[in-house]
Amino acid sequence: MIAVLVLLIAPLLAGGLSLVVHRSGWLHGINLASMGALVTAEVVITHTVLRSGPVTALDQLVYLDALSTFILFIIGTVGLACSFYMRSYMDEQVARGVIAPSQLNQFFFLFHMFVLAMVIATMANSVGVQWVAIEATTLATTFLIAFWRRRESLEAGWKYLILCSVGISLALFGVVLLYYSSLHVLSDASQGLNVTHLLPVADRLNPQVLKLAFIFILVGYGTKVGLVPMHSWLPDAYTEAPAPVVAMLAGVLEVVAAYAILRVRVIVDHAVPFAFAGGLLALLGFASFLTAAFFITIQHNYKRLFAYSSIEHMGIAMIGLGVGGPLGTFGGLFHLLNHALAKSMAFFAAGNIHRRFHTVEIGQVQGVAMAQPWTAMALMISGLTLSALPPFAAFSSEVQVVAALASQGVPEMELAGTVGLVTVTLSDQFSRVALVSVFLVGAVLSFGGLLYRITGMVWGTPPEGMVREEIWTLGHLPIILLTMALMGFTFFLPPPIQQLLERATSIILIH
Amino acid sequence: MQGLSSLGSQLVDLCSALLLLTCFAIVAQRRLSACVDLFALQSAFLVVTAALVAYLTGNHHIYLAAGLTGVIKVIIIPRVLKKVIDRLNVKRELVMHVNVPTGLLICGGLVMLAFFIAQPIIPLGSLLTRDSLAIALAIVLIGLFTMIARHQAVSQLVGFLVLENGLFLGATAATYGMPLVVELGVFFDVLIATLIAGIYTNRLQDAFDSVDTDRLTVLKE
Repeated sequence: MIAVLVLLIAPLLAGGLSLVVHRSGWLHGINLASMGALVTAEVVITHTVLRSGPVTALDQLVYLDALSTFILFIIGTVGLACSFYMRSYMDEQVARGVIAPSQLNQFFFLFHMFVLAMVIATMANSVGVQWVAIEATTLATTFLIAFWRRRESLEAGWKYLILCSVGISLALFGVVLLYYSSLHVLSDASQGLNVTHLLPVADRLNPQVLKLAFIFILVGYGTKVGLVPMHSWLPDAYTEAPAPVVAMLAGVLEVVAAYAILRVRVIVDHAVPFAFAGGLLALLGFASFLTAAFFITIQHNYKRLFAYSSIEHMGIAMIGLGVGGPLGTFGGLFHLLNHALAKSMAFFAAGNIHRRFHTVEIGQVQGVAMAQPWTAMALMISGLTLSALPPFAAFSSEVQVVAALASQGVPEMELAGTVGLVTVTLSDQFSRVALVSVFLVGAVLSFGGLLYRITGMVWGTPPEGMVREEIWTLGHLPIILLTMALMGFTFFLPPPIQQLLERATSIILIH
Repeated sequence: MQGLSSLGSQLVDLCSALLLLTCFAIVAQRRLSACVDLFALQSAFLVVTAALVAYLTGNHHIYLAAGLTGVIKVIIIPRVLKKVIDRLNVKRELVMHVNVPTGLLICGGLVMLAFFIAQPIIPLGSLLTRDSLAIALAIVLIGLFTMIARHQAVSQLVGFLVLENGLFLGATAATYGMPLVVELGVFFDVLIATLIAGIYTNRLQDAFDSVDTDRLTVLKE
């Protein structure tokens, strides 16, 4: 109970303080303290949830089960890593005169509000409150994306604001429809959007309305996840935003949006055949995965390269969750975690390289291994993880997804009942073999594209006059820790995380 | 009682239809400030609809939502938008991606599509306002279309607000309003979103000397 309050108050307090404190050391201190408090509270909550099951607090407003605790864990880990990284990154921007010292206040205020919104979105019992919080993340991050105030960043920020707001508005229509269906079953209207009240009666909700609601919610939050074809804001935003912000966007925000889809999906699965939601998720997953794999091969900008790799990996996670079964669901969730860790590290490395080489063109970056050995290591390890090579953890989660795909295939789906127009029956047209081969071809494409470009950047000789050393900063600490986590998770998943993952899987799997 | 509820249901339908009509007017209107006025008018109709629903059903929290709509969408947001427009160097939408007659035809098609989608789920509702659900969906789709069809950052914003109005109508009509905490959160988000978009328009104006979003083409593959 106290831990729940800490989760809410820490970012709120830190945000408020960030507006009045002016020394940069203090700002970073507040940030680290609030992230530390967040992580501690999460450890306590994980312990409670594992020992005595789901927690409800604050007059039913907060509901934490294994699934949401798992998401909180990702928010805390990546958030803490970002806070360490920000110390040297933001100070250097101030020292170089890119931003005025007073802009740091604005930066930290928005950053804390962003974290707060994500925490609320994860803890909310009501699907409606969750919607409000996810829209709030859009509002908090749009100025973070446009933070450098260049023309390009303004463009990226505006696109992000408009596309995500529209997407999220569609999700609100889905929430309204969900409420519409629950009103016929639940007597107490004010609780009609609460997950705790919807789940027990979910099988009596009207399937027609639920199907329509799920489509709206999937498209809406899917925009935020960056699923194809709603992804067009994502590469622009990831190129223009400051590196720690991108690490949060790619590592955490996508996961929170995916979580919002999963929450509704569990309710929908009670009333509608499993194949409906699963099939839609797998379809969007495949579209994202293949489109991104293609775009990875033609990139010449390393930040865009990582951006498309994000789309690809969210696609893989969606395929896993869509195919379902214990293996697919577990693999999908585990992949969300691995991607969050690897992608935040990739963007830390990208930020370091950009600070030294002053370009985002892959062709103009050479010899990172000589100029910045630590960064080169981070780049290689995140690159290898993102290409799903052993011994890194994304390898095991991707193998789980492929294995689930091979054994179960994509669930057969029929939209006919809802829309009356489209009837898609995937499994008739493609056998599982074809699906797995398509998946592997995509995986090989992205593997080749990513590694080819990254090795090109790491090896070779740096340009004339480039400083060939890397001063150790606080920003290197998360790189080391993330590397250890990524390698360690392949061989040994710590028991609390393993249990969280297993219980979260059983929450999603209801059949 | 039967007579009252049937009269009430017709009144709600009438108001929803007026909301839809203002949508068409916005699509047909080229002057930016007139678009903003039309949006304020549409929001006023929304207030009347919500108040009617509140009166007919006796759900008092809808009065609160109606009052907030009145303050935020009829008074504050139009004023903010007017201020933003005053700073711009263009008062008219000079070019649109689609001309007005085509736009109106497309909107007609969207209304039919909305009724088609909502048809199977409307009979489920036992509420007197259930017919408004299809109209709400139509307004959402037209708002979306306006955002795609217009160049100016401000008119895209108006499209977004129209879309929000459609959502609010849907929430009021289909379910007599969402739980209060959600309702308040949505209002808060819409207000902040408008303010942020207003700040953006100023910055875009300063950086590009224009708010024509077609000029935002630096970032591409």
